[in-house]
Amino acid sequence: MDHDLDTPEQKKGYSRREMLKMTALAGGGIALGASGLGTALELFGHKTSEQSAKTTATIPFFGKHQAGVTTAHQSYGYLAAFDIDPSVHDVAKIMALFISWTRLASTLTQGKREANSSNTQLPPNDTNEARDLGAASLTITFGLGHSFFIKNGKDRFGLSDKMPRQLTPMPKIAHESLDPAISNGDLCVQVCADIQQVAFHALRNLIKEALGTANIRWMESGFLNAPKGKTARNLFGFKDGTANVTRAADQDKIIWTGADEPKWMRDGTYLGYRKIKMNIETWDRDSYSDQEQVFGRKKDSGAAFGQSHEHEPVIMSKQPANSHVRLAHGTGKQIYRRAYSYTNGIQTTTGNLDAGLLFISFQNKPQDSFIPLLRVLGRSDALNEYTDHIATGLFAVPSGIRKNEYFAQHLFE
Amino acid sequence: MKHRKSVILLLLISLLLIPAITACSNAQKNGSEKKAQTTSDPVKQGTQKMKQINHKLQAALKKNDSEAIKKYGKQINTQWLSYENGVRDRFPLQYAKIERYQQPIYAQSNLSAPDIAQMKENSSALEDQLDDLLAAKETKAKPSKLMKQAVNDYLKYANEQIDLLVKTTKPFVAAVKAGDVDKAKQLYTKPRIYYERAEPIAESFGDLDPSIDARINDVDDESKWTGFHEIERALWEKNSLKGQEKYADKLLEDVLSLQQKAKSFELTPKAMVAGSMELLEEAATSKITGEEERYSHTDLVDLQANVDGSQAVYQAAIPALNQGHKDLANQIDKQFQSFDKLMLKYKKSDTEYEDYTKLNKDQIREISNELSKLSKLMAQTAKIF
Repeated sequence: MDHDLDTPEQKKGYSRREMLKMTALAGGGIALGASGLGTALELFGHKTSEQSAKTTATIPFFGKHQAGVTTAHQSYGYLAAFDIDPSVHDVAKIMALFISWTRLASTLTQGKREANSSNTQLPPNDTNEARDLGAASLTITFGLGHSFFIKNGKDRFGLSDKMPRQLTPMPKIAHESLDPAISNGDLCVQVCADIQQVAFHALRNLIKEALGTANIRWMESGFLNAPKGKTARNLFGFKDGTANVTRAADQDKIIWTGADEPKWMRDGTYLGYRKIKMNIETWDRDSYSDQEQVFGRKKDSGAAFGQSHEHEPVIMSKQPANSHVRLAHGTGKQIYRRAYSYTNGIQTTTGNLDAGLLFISFQNKPQDSFIPLLRVLGRSDALNEYTDHIATGLFAVPSGIRKNEYFAQHLFE
Repeated sequence: MKHRKSVILLLLISLLLIPAITACSNAQKNGSEKKAQTTSDPVKQGTQKMKQINHKLQAALKKNDSEAIKKYGKQINTQWLSYENGVRDRFPLQYAKIERYQQPIYAQSNLSAPDIAQMKENSSALEDQLDDLLAAKETKAKPSKLMKQAVNDYLKYANEQIDLLVKTTKPFVAAVKAGDVDKAKQLYTKPRIYYERAEPIAESFGDLDPSIDARINDVDDESKWTGFHEIERALWEKNSLKGQEKYADKLLEDVLSLQQKAKSFELTPKAMVAGSMELLEEAATSKITGEEERYSHTDLVDLQANVDGSQAVYQAAIPALNQGHKDLANQIDKQFQSFDKLMLKYKKSDTEYEDYTKLNKDQIREISNELSKLSKLMAQTAKIF
């Protein structure tokens, strides 16, 4: 049967066993634990009282949904996109990558590190900069872009019949000036943690592992902090994410995908992404009252116009016309926002700050919520005067990964 | 495209055969040796075919028939790819030698105007190596002996490169001293190739590498800056060789000294493998960014030479890799092939590649990516220790 592996009809339907056998043969750094994905791990068991809860907190990796979506917002986030290497035409290689990514992610999120080879002539497996740090609530969330399935009109890996229903290339939106080099991508990985070094370490090791099968296309990093239970503020100084739903039933309605999706995509979601550059200096010179008019909320309290508390309902008749909140609210579309702010030094041509928002939202029907919302805001949002959308992306985030399974396994098997 | 498919197919088949090979008992091994002496042996058969095509190539070279030269040059490559895995497994020592002559033949046959004289030389050397392979017995030696052989083979390669460095530096230095800017520019890249291939050896001798190859940002005192790049700046930036005589003399003195020292140089297997990684790292940092040849923009020439030098280490290490790491050898081999194929797009002749500044961002990223893949795999050759 081994010789059948090269026939085209076999390419689409490897069984997990065949695949594991093949990747074990392919060798070359793909260390696979066939059962339980358990390889030799170093367990860092310093549980001294000096270590803060922040360092040791762990978020379960395996579960019904992927972590990093409704998980309490960590302080630091990285969003990265990868492209499948042009030499890869065989899904077995991609499956092998997803298996090793799953192994790595399930290890790192639990505060463990991969052990190095006893052969010290080989490069180390783990890059070591997070050795003395724990998991710090690390989450790693994987997604697939439209170009993973179809590129240049071609069904790349024979998987397009299983494509998530709402996954499309991003349509053109008014008032955007996108840089394709930092937009879209075949795969996306969101890495969040309460310690930036832990998040970077995780992403760096995922990039290292993927090279040759999937290569990094772009990477963004951000931060966002708020006192526990309070809504965080973006760089405009306003609360961002007030409208997020917190009850499980509401989250099912807005975030998680259901029976209308292919089986492997159920209990998943879609990650919508916009990199929004803020014209910080212009904003900072705008009057306080105009800033509130533009945003459509009170700056300090976060209350809508005509209200005094953040979570009181928006009264449409009292909202300034074209204010951000009025337009967004008026669409009746709901999304789950999980943004990060970013800074990147200054723009050398002007001396202005290079800063803004990595807008990330999760929703089960992006075609009915995220995209229509962007269209409305793109056309008339008063905030547009102070922002530029410079990057974009839409990624399907499949269901959570069960123990002893790997990311997107049921897409292939 | 066609030969690429066959490579993948072969690779898959050979991958699938690994368990069978590694599971072989001694008795079976003896069996396969016996088989090697019969005519049904695929390696012997493949080699006979190689010879047939090589004869056609030689006839075409004689007639100066460039269409036929290109055709047979490419056919040799296709034929070689169709059975080289078998050669690498069983005759690793012969394998590396055949690669050395076969590759330049293929590279030349892809150029619009192949270098006939060079092809003739390589074709006749290839013929000798093919005969050698037909008569060869399978390599079977102890790992320690294999490593020693690997180092000796590599040192032989490195010394040949350094001899060529000296040979090609002499006319370059003469042109510089004669003040002939155009000629010196023409002769500049040749010694660079040989130097970049053997650089890890030069780096073992303290001051020699900086003295020959320092870039302007490597020195704190510009008045003490010497070597190729000082002359490179004079040629391309100043377009004048005024005052360059002393640098030309010093360069020749340094490469002669390198040649002398390299002859008695001893190398450990670990240092050899580390050297191949240094070469790839050099290519991936200073060459791919256009910093190395910032005045002449001939960075791609150096980059390919670094990769060639690294490949020589890989080829020398094949017998050792075959002891339990054949899968890795397969992957590395495949990646060197894709890398060389990518670089063919930019190759104009043996000493001329596309000007670095003419490459766009995507093209540079593509080369960088292929280099990273190569480097990631080559780092794993340390598994032989």
